[in-house]
Parts: sequence; structure tokens; C-alpha cells
Amino acid sequence: MDLGLQGKVAIVSGGSKGIGRAIATMLAGEGASVMIAARSREPLDEARAALQEIAPGRIAAVAADMTDPAGVAAVVAATRATFGPVSIAVSNVIGHVIDSKKEGDGPGAGNFASMPSPEYRREFQHLFVSAWALAHECIPDMKAQGWGRICNIGSGVAREPATELPHVLPNVVRPAVAGMYRIMAARLAGDGITVNNILTGSILTERNLSYWTWLASQTGSTFEEVTATFHSRIPVRRQGDPREMASLVTFLCSQQACHITGQSIPVDGGSNRHL
Amino acid sequence: MDLGLAGRSALLVGPDDEVAGACRRLLTAEGARLATSVDDDVVDIVIAHGVTRHGSQVLAVESAEGWHTAWNDVVAALDVFGRALPGMRSRGWGRFVWVGTAGSRALDAELPGQLDEVGAVTSLAMRAAQKVIAAEGGAEGVVANSVLRGGAATADEVAAAVAYFCSQWCGYITGASVDVTGGVGSGMF
Repeated sequence: MDLGLQGKVAIVSGGSKGIGRAIATMLAGEGASVMIAARSREPLDEARAALQEIAPGRIAAVAADMTDPAGVAAVVAATRATFGPVSIAVSNVIGHVIDSKKEGDGPGAGNFASMPSPEYRREFQHLFVSAWALAHECIPDMKAQGWGRICNIGSGVAREPATELPHVLPNVVRPAVAGMYRIMAARLAGDGITVNNILTGSILTERNLSYWTWLASQTGSTFEEVTATFHSRIPVRRQGDPREMASLVTFLCSQQACHITGQSIPVDGGSNRHL
Repeated sequence: MDLGLAGRSALLVGPDDEVAGACRRLLTAEGARLATSVDDDVVDIVIAHGVTRHGSQVLAVESAEGWHTAWNDVVAALDVFGRALPGMRSRGWGRFVWVGTAGSRALDAELPGQLDEVGAVTSLAMRAAQKVIAAEGGAEGVVANSVLRGGAATADEVAAAVAYFCSQWCGYITGASVDVTGGVGSGMF
């Protein structure tokens, strides 16, 4: 299926690894020019080199903190300078930190009873402000073209809080992102811009493996016990492949998906039971 | 109906507006007393609400600071909720009520400028927080619910729903949101 993405200009935050990289790869494969942004230089350079193989001349990378509106503005400016006006913006920023050695400083994991209230402010900056800032910077380009695709890699907790996990921060902030997107979608529908949110389930990424390892250490279980317990709760009995996530995002960015907007769509193997 | 509020102490968080006033009047009429501080006082009930920004628009927010100002309502409420929770748990009884906007249920049902869009966003976060608190506090008699104001609801009508959610009868309803909207809004959920 030709998705009509030839010549489109896309930005993917968190584009060097995992889900973001799978999205960047698939958008590039459909003919888009892709700017990937992430904090760490080394994985970013590695990802750019790998993506250049499939899309010579259509890949760029900028190291930036996408939770900071100034970082977002710099990436958008660099994208315009390299490829032209932005037509696709995929926001993919992690929230609370599992392994601070790998992920740097950030809000922590925990339940409500243990969470200091300032952490809600930090998580809001990570998850909400990052998604808002990327959309906010790109909307003028999209309005000028009469075409745009905005997509956020959210989480299933936006619809159903994961109260059995130490996830109070995303439990509280993710629904706010979904709501902000829903309103944005309604207000931008007349401009040919769609705004959608992905309710991510358990996707097999490097970060996800760190998460299971961390959770095992917290609960005194083995890695195998923890993953077996969680997999048994997923109707399809396995984790998702990042490409299964990326394929939905790529479809939502397509010409064909022009009438799908304001949606929060799960990619979770059937985990979310909410109607 | 005896709401069982005699001797219970209630704390209000948020602006001192007509909703706060109506809640204070009704709760004290039902025999509750008003607490002044979550740290220096026994607190059985916390009622929180944010600043109402009639006609606020998501696309009109121009800076991260603008969002953080609105988000302060959430942080302030959760800060007090978190401080009140240990005492409620140890006493085996507690009530948290968030008074938000029904716009958080039908996010795009109205035209720009008719909805408090920013309030809808923060209300969603608080409704989710209430579900988390419901899960964490349920075993120890702590329940957490939301009252969503919309349509032409008066402050007294909102306060009546708040008082019910604070009552002795509201022990099995938790993590819920109820609309006080006069039937405005057509969404199923």
C-alpha cells in the first residue's frame, strides 16, 4: 500500500532506540525525510548511520533534550533548514526513570503513598510539556501546508491506570496528554491536521528489558518470574515488537488515515479492557 | 439522610470561590468541622478544586510556564492528599473529593471558547489520580472520587454531590466520577 509519504518531512523524538527508531525506520522506508532527536550523541550517530543505509540523504539527527521547549525549537529549526517545513511530528519521550545510569536524571517510580508532590511537576515536564512543545512548534508549518500528522507515543495508563505497578506518575500525567491531544485534534481538524495518541502496552525494547530487571530487583523475584507473570496477563501472551507499534504510527501518518483524529489507540496485545 | 459527618474534619484545597463556600456551608451544617492545616490537624476529608478558567484554550497556551501554572492545581491537590493519606489509613476512614470540570469527559463537544479546555486537561489528571488513590487506600477505608461540574450547575448543587461523596454511605463508590451537569453532554462515558 502506498501511504503517500514521499517527500514528507518528519521529526521523531527519542528516535535513536526502541520504538522511536522503529518509527523513524518505517517512515523513512515510506519515502519521508526524517529528523531523529535524542539526548545521547552516541546512539544517535549509530542510528543515523543505520538509517542512511535505507534512506540516503533523507536522514538527519540532532542531539537535544526534547523535554525542554528550547531543545524542541532547536530541532524543529534544524529540520526546516535541512529538509523544509515539517509535516509529521512524532513525540516519543520517556517519563519516569528506571535506570538513572542509562537514562539520566528524571522523576522516579513509585506509588501514590510514597511519591513527593514535586515529582508530579517533573513528570509533567517530561511527558506533557514535551508532547505539547513539539506539536506547538510544528503546527504553523502544518497549517501553512494544510496537512499535518501529530502523534504521541503514550501509554495504556492514559485510559486505565496501572495501579498494580509503581507508576503513579504516568498514571496521573498520561491522561492529561491524551486530553490535550483530543482537544487539539478537534481544533485543528479544519486544517488537515490529525492528532492521535498511542496507548502503548508492553513492547520489547532495551528500556523494557531494563524495566523488568529493575522490577524483579524491587520485588525480590527473578526476571523470568516477573516477565512470566506479566505476559500471562497479556491476551496474546507475548510482548509487542517495536515494528508493530511503528506500523500503526506510520499508518496514522498516511494519506489514507486523514479521517482518523483525536483517537487514543492501544497497541498492547489486548491488555487494556476498557471499552 | 444522615451523612454521618458529625465530628468529621474536612479540609478544602483550592481557590476560595463560590464552590468552596457552598461546600463549607453544607459540610458544617451536616456537623463536620473545618480543618485548617493538613499537618497540624486531624483530617478525615479533603476536597480539592482548581482555578476555573472559563473559555481557556489549549491552542492559546504559548509557553511551558503557562501549562505549569495550570498544573500547579494538580500538584497542590496531590500534595495535600498525600499528607492526609497516612492519618486516614491509620484511622481506617478517609474521603478525597476532586471537583473538576465535566469538560474532562466530553473534551471537544463544545466550540472553542465555550469550554475550560485547560481545566479539562488538569481534571483528567486528577480523575486518574483518584483512581490510583482508590486502589491504594481502599483496604483501609479511604475512598476517592470526582465531581464534574458542567452545564448551569449551581455551587450548591455541586456541594450536595461533594457532601454525598464525603458521607458514611459512600464507602463502595471509589475511583468514580459523577457529572453534575443537568444532563448537558451526550457521551456514554
